[in-house]
Amino acid sequence: MINGPVSQTLISEFIAKMERKTDSGGHMIFLGQVRADEINGKLVRAIEYSAYSELVNIEAEKIINSILSEFDDVRSVDIIHSKGIVNAGGISLLVFVSAGHRLQAVQACSKAVELIKENLPVWKKEILEDDSHLWK
Amino acid sequence: MEVKVLFFGVLAEISGTGIKHYKDVKSISELKLRIYDDFPEIAHYNFRISINSEITDADLFLKSGDEIAFMPPFAGG
Repeated sequence: MINGPVSQTLISEFIAKMERKTDSGGHMIFLGQVRADEINGKLVRAIEYSAYSELVNIEAEKIINSILSEFDDVRSVDIIHSKGIVNAGGISLLVFVSAGHRLQAVQACSKAVELIKENLPVWKKEILEDDSHLWK
Repeated sequence: MEVKVLFFGVLAEISGTGIKHYKDVKSISELKLRIYDDFPEIAHYNFRISINSEITDADLFLKSGDEIAFMPPFAGG
């Protein structure tokens, strides 16, 4: 996990690393962004993420291992999730999948995002523009 | 004997704390009763429990030093 939003610099670092992965023919990047939803007439201005750190690492590893065993053409899976405050428009999740070919890159990335939503012990508090908040 | 209880998400807000220690509690069911006594509102929420980072539904016996997490439904990603 990282504190605050996933930065453009970090995203670029993943893209720069692609060049070295000469066994991969396809990469899929998922970026999860904080949306300025409207709730009861007020906009979400940020989300505060909290997590059970010890369990997050265990569960993230299980997700990665599950993807690697389900998709035999996948070479690597990286997951970065924010904790702390991410403003609307900020990126709070990065999933990067490299595979030999495009089909599994797309499928595995999609599966990884679903598994993250189901199994990562992370919680979201939506902070509205009037500073009130709601648990998601 | 003493165990450490971690509260997450909305449960951390209700309990006003992320961490609370409980002494002389034998099992998960007994721990829940003690927690509901301290924070009655928690009983109205769905949550899962983990003991030492292992999620469990069972009413297990507790030992000193155990870390028990009370976790509302996950909302990551």
